[in-house]
Amino acid sequence: MMAVFDTPEEAFGVLRPVCVQLTKTQTVENVEHLQTRLQAVSDTALQELQQYILFPLRFTLKAPGPKRECLIQSVVECLTFVLSSTCVKEQELLQELFSELSACLYLPNSQKPAAVSEELKLAVIQGLSTLMHSAYGDIILTFYEPSMLPRLGFAVSLLLGLAEKEKSKQIKIAALKCLQVLLLQCDCPDHPRSLDELEQKQLGDLFASFLPGISTALTRVITGDFKQGHSIVLSSLKIFYRTVSFIMDDEQLQGISKVQAKHVVEHRVADLMVHREADWVKNTGDKLTILIKKIIECVSVHPHWKVRLGLVELVEDLLVKCSQSLVESAGSLLKALVGLVNDESPEVQTQCNKVLKHFADQKVVVGNKAFADILSESLHSLSTSLPRLMNSQDDQGKFSTLSLLLGYLKLLGPKINFVLNSVAHLQRLSKALIQVLELDVADIKIVEERHWNSDDLNTSPKTSAAQPWKHIQRRYFRFFTDERVFLLLRQVCQLLGYYGNLYLLVDHFMELYHESVVYRKQAAMILNELVAGAAGLEVEDLHEKHIKTSPEELREIVTSILEEYTSQENWYLVTRIEAEEMGDDPMRKQSDLQAITSDGHTCQLTSFLAFSKPSPTICSMNSNIWQICIQLEGIGQFAYALGKDFRLLLMSALYPVLEKAGDQTLLISQVATGTMMDICHACGYDSLQHLINQNSDYLVNGISLNLRHLALHPHTPKVLEVMLRNSDANLLPLVVDVVQDVLATLDQFYDKRAASFVSVLHALLAALAQWFPDTGNVGQLQERSLGEERSPLHQKPATVENTAEDIERFLLNYLKEKDVAAGNVLDFDNEEEELSVPPKVEENGLHPDAEPPLPVHIQIAMDVMERCIHLLSDKNLQIRLKVLDVLDLCVAVLQSHKNQLLPLAHRVWPSLVHRLTHDDPLAVLRAFKVLRTLGGECGDFLRSRFCKDVLPKLAGSLLSQAPVSARAGSVYSHTLAFKLQLAVLQGLGPLCERLDLGEGDLNKVADACLIYLSTKQPVKLQEAARSVFLHLMKVDPDSTWLLLNELYCPVQFTPPHPSLHPVHLRETSRQQNPYTANVLYLLKELQ
Amino acid sequence: MAAPLLLPPPDPQFVLRGTQSPVHALHFREGAQAQGRPLLFSGSQGGLVHIWSLQTRRAVTTLDGHGGQCVIWLQTLPQGHQLLSQGRDLRLCLWDLAEGRNTIVDSVRLESVGFCRSAILAEGQPRWMLAMPGKGTDEIQILEMPSKTSVCTLKLEADAKPGMPMCLGLWQANCSPHPLLLAGYEDGSVALWDVSEQKVCSRIACHEEPVMGLDFDSQKARGVSGSAGKVLAVWSLDGQQALQVHRTHELTNPGVAEVTIRPDRKILATAGWDHCVRVFHWQTMRPLAVLAFHSATVQCVAFARDGLLAAGSKDQRISLWSLYPRT
Repeated sequence: MMAVFDTPEEAFGVLRPVCVQLTKTQTVENVEHLQTRLQAVSDTALQELQQYILFPLRFTLKAPGPKRECLIQSVVECLTFVLSSTCVKEQELLQELFSELSACLYLPNSQKPAAVSEELKLAVIQGLSTLMHSAYGDIILTFYEPSMLPRLGFAVSLLLGLAEKEKSKQIKIAALKCLQVLLLQCDCPDHPRSLDELEQKQLGDLFASFLPGISTALTRVITGDFKQGHSIVLSSLKIFYRTVSFIMDDEQLQGISKVQAKHVVEHRVADLMVHREADWVKNTGDKLTILIKKIIECVSVHPHWKVRLGLVELVEDLLVKCSQSLVESAGSLLKALVGLVNDESPEVQTQCNKVLKHFADQKVVVGNKAFADILSESLHSLSTSLPRLMNSQDDQGKFSTLSLLLGYLKLLGPKINFVLNSVAHLQRLSKALIQVLELDVADIKIVEERHWNSDDLNTSPKTSAAQPWKHIQRRYFRFFTDERVFLLLRQVCQLLGYYGNLYLLVDHFMELYHESVVYRKQAAMILNELVAGAAGLEVEDLHEKHIKTSPEELREIVTSILEEYTSQENWYLVTRIEAEEMGDDPMRKQSDLQAITSDGHTCQLTSFLAFSKPSPTICSMNSNIWQICIQLEGIGQFAYALGKDFRLLLMSALYPVLEKAGDQTLLISQVATGTMMDICHACGYDSLQHLINQNSDYLVNGISLNLRHLALHPHTPKVLEVMLRNSDANLLPLVVDVVQDVLATLDQFYDKRAASFVSVLHALLAALAQWFPDTGNVGQLQERSLGEERSPLHQKPATVENTAEDIERFLLNYLKEKDVAAGNVLDFDNEEEELSVPPKVEENGLHPDAEPPLPVHIQIAMDVMERCIHLLSDKNLQIRLKVLDVLDLCVAVLQSHKNQLLPLAHRVWPSLVHRLTHDDPLAVLRAFKVLRTLGGECGDFLRSRFCKDVLPKLAGSLLSQAPVSARAGSVYSHTLAFKLQLAVLQGLGPLCERLDLGEGDLNKVADACLIYLSTKQPVKLQEAARSVFLHLMKVDPDSTWLLLNELYCPVQFTPPHPSLHPVHLRETSRQQNPYTANVLYLLKELQ
Repeated sequence: MAAPLLLPPPDPQFVLRGTQSPVHALHFREGAQAQGRPLLFSGSQGGLVHIWSLQTRRAVTTLDGHGGQCVIWLQTLPQGHQLLSQGRDLRLCLWDLAEGRNTIVDSVRLESVGFCRSAILAEGQPRWMLAMPGKGTDEIQILEMPSKTSVCTLKLEADAKPGMPMCLGLWQANCSPHPLLLAGYEDGSVALWDVSEQKVCSRIACHEEPVMGLDFDSQKARGVSGSAGKVLAVWSLDGQQALQVHRTHELTNPGVAEVTIRPDRKILATAGWDHCVRVFHWQTMRPLAVLAFHSATVQCVAFARDGLLAAGSKDQRISLWSLYPRT
């Protein structure tokens, strides 16, 4: 950094030589010299010496004769430097410098721009900018006097030319910036104070001359190639609207009289001046309308959001300032604005909404009759062309058209009723909406997807409490794929509901709903949104004083729509093939095909079937499914719309929803469960349980009444099922009488509708088992099984050590047990049992004549078990399986009430035996499970019965079938015989353990299963057989050990004492045999 | 003629559950000004009176004033704010229900443990008349309320042996200043009493079995009574205040617990021991419908002024039926 010369004197001393030098010889070097020196001079000193320094520079520019461009450029740059640090305080200097600088770009003595280098152009543009900024105080205003008009005009057209024609982006931007400065639109802070009215008017008069040039040139720039960069378009746009709004400002124009004020100017200049009287305004307005339209068309789809944001500003500026002068453009301007309401850029959206809100607040539109008329007119014409547009446009086109529609609705607010009241327009509007909302119902999966695991008590989807009401099922439309289009359509409908006459609209769409199946789904969707909108959910209101539909009216309307939705003909639509409907056929199909797939996944199976035999009604069934889903979602939305008021409607609305929650079609049951959650939140219930329990009276009423006409209401049992699945023990007292109704109805329909009843019974018993866990017994069981597991294992190490005391103790125990078995000794256990009896007697003593009434759940379980006896022999395997599950649950619930359980078990027995010995392998397995559960409580009863009725048959079939399976190939595992063997083997082990079978019977089991330890048997059977022995080991480890060792003995046993005989097992040879592997495995487990 | 056959059997409009005890008495209170739908009172064997909102179909409150003893009769006074309940605890309670209150403001001691339901005659005046079973087995006591002053005791001559009164009906003909009382007796006879003169105007034997319920249409001067037997008797009253059996109607199953004529006098309903409610055309006694819903004896039937029918049963449910809406 050089030394700074603060005082003019010092500076002068430094600068004088270079100035003199430059004046003498004008070279680039000398200019640069000067510039270098200038940098060391302080601003104040420079100001003092401004004229002096400028002189050689201006001299260089003015010197006649051709000059090198680089010289001019360096001079201009130097000049710019001086001007940037100083002020121009004299009007004349300002004007002269302006002319001299402008002239650099022109051919001498001509008005044509010279072909100069880009650098020079840039330098001059910057010079001009700097010059205008350096004008001191009011001097700038004196610059804009009529006499300057020609020179100013030159500069303006020069800059416009540069902005339009130049290739360099930098020059274009600089030119536009300079133009801004020249037109006093500069944004920089050190620009002149705001102008007063008169000054504005004078400037307006002056600039008006440039308006045609500026507006056309800028329009060309704006509508030019998108590729030219957004900043150029953006600043052009800004200059355009600022210039237009300044010149066409309604306030300014108001004060202009017919007669032109005489300016004291030359004649030549006077010709250039414009008088902005009415005709001129009209003409100019018309011309601008064309340009504005062009600009809007182009810019509203500009890819860069800042440009579109610029458009929003343009609209705001022009509509606010020039609403009268540019009234012809108002339509296009409003359209542009509302079209951007849903712009993809949030900035544009926000700004747009801000402007709309501002307009609404200031009543720019509604307060202005002209604007309101224009908007109504636009809405009219849009609704007229809407059906055609929705038909022909692509997604993007639909999006912008609908955005536009939405914007009009927003802006017009309550005034949309003018349009809706015209029947023709309402029809057009609704036609378009109905048309575009048509669903694509070709998706085959919807019909196919079934609810298979209805057994699961917790199938309700995890719906978080924060789930917004607007969540709805994704759907597919025929005429568009873009989700945003759907969103817009919903918003449109909501706004219609919010501002429009709800009665009129609901009536209209209800009519369409009735008119044809083709319209029904769309009409329902629209009705749903209308109601949501009417309740003001999510609607952003621009018109604050708008009167909403009253809650009473809304409730009335919702009630009538609900009635329609849930009526017989609109709620009970065919969603499945009729044959399935009759006997719950999917189950049967599954059983028929069981042989084909080993672990048959039924979904695949049924879809396979459906594909091979496509039903012509798939589409209509899909359509029906959607219809139901839409109506379900509607109910959810209505709940949100009414809030707690909806509680009153629950008596009619909840039942149908629950009915659908139990539907077999996955989509329907999911949506219905969602609706239940919606109702839950909307009506202020804590949970589904709460909702169901609080309204169980309504539900029970529906169930009991519909059970009376089961043929008409075949889904009635489902409702109870859904209630049970989603509630808790508090529900039970509320449903007792309806459970009795269900059982009574079942008794009438054993043959026809058993399937649906069995699933209710299952849900009921599963619920009971979950709600009333028999804690005492469970604990006992666990304790016992633990003990059982432990005792043999604990004894084991002792026998291995084989101490004399151990043997003695063992023998003593053995003798004692033998005595007990012979019934000779009254031992401790018996005493204990007797001790445990008295409290029972005492209890009974309190009620000597009447036994205390049984708990409700026990009574129900008994009643259900009674029915199971009949149902166990149903001809449908799936029903039998389910009944076995129900039976299992009954036993589990009843285990604490032996007096009730035993007689029933006795009656069930024959049928159960039949399942074990003469049924499908699946049934065999489940029957085993029932036996196991039963064995826990009725051990003695069951043991003898089992050993007498079942075991011989099973053992016999195992033995007889063993040679077959040993010989069979790999296909064997697909046969029924194999599955039966497997089921029996799998079932026997746990049961033996549970029943605590005696030695003889255990031997029977062991004998029958022994063969299956052979490696010749299929692997799965070997595994199952091993599992039998693992269980036997727990019951009687010693005899099992012996048995296994007799099959194959891996070690030689030497007696611990010479006085004892050596042990001789049958198979002492160490030879390998087919049993070796499995025996070794089991013996290892035994240790 | 084929059309009615295709219709499914009628269903109740809805069913009220939750009395948790057999229902023995029902009474509608018509909506007092601007209160929307009317309320229904039900009296249960467990001694509770439930007040049901017919809008929400839920019990609004329960009144417990009879110490767990069966409530057999319920009646509101004309203003609708006061309820009378008769229980087998030998008490007749007067409840104040205005403005959400539910307190016993007065009670009358009954002298006999019969099944006889009381009756009132109240035309909006502050003073009203109450008829209830009296001290002696065949006596009927008339009280002036609310002062509870005994007006008279009505008792048939000694050789009549009518047994206990089983049901009562008080009314006053427009032309006459004398209040009249209809009483059904245990021996199956119905008697008409002139209360002010304390004499029997007429007495006819309608039934073989005890009369269980009766209702009277003062415009047509005809009444109907049902008994434990199979017969429904319609009798009329001539100018000399003499009762005459007009016609009888044989029922399918014996036993009627209550008979009620709808306020518009077009139809009547019986509460049957056979679990059914039967509806008849009042003019012709043509059977119109059998309402089968309950799974136990129907103990009481009541009509609301808008025609809604309620039936209460031993199965602890109250069914509400909307039939043949008034034209």
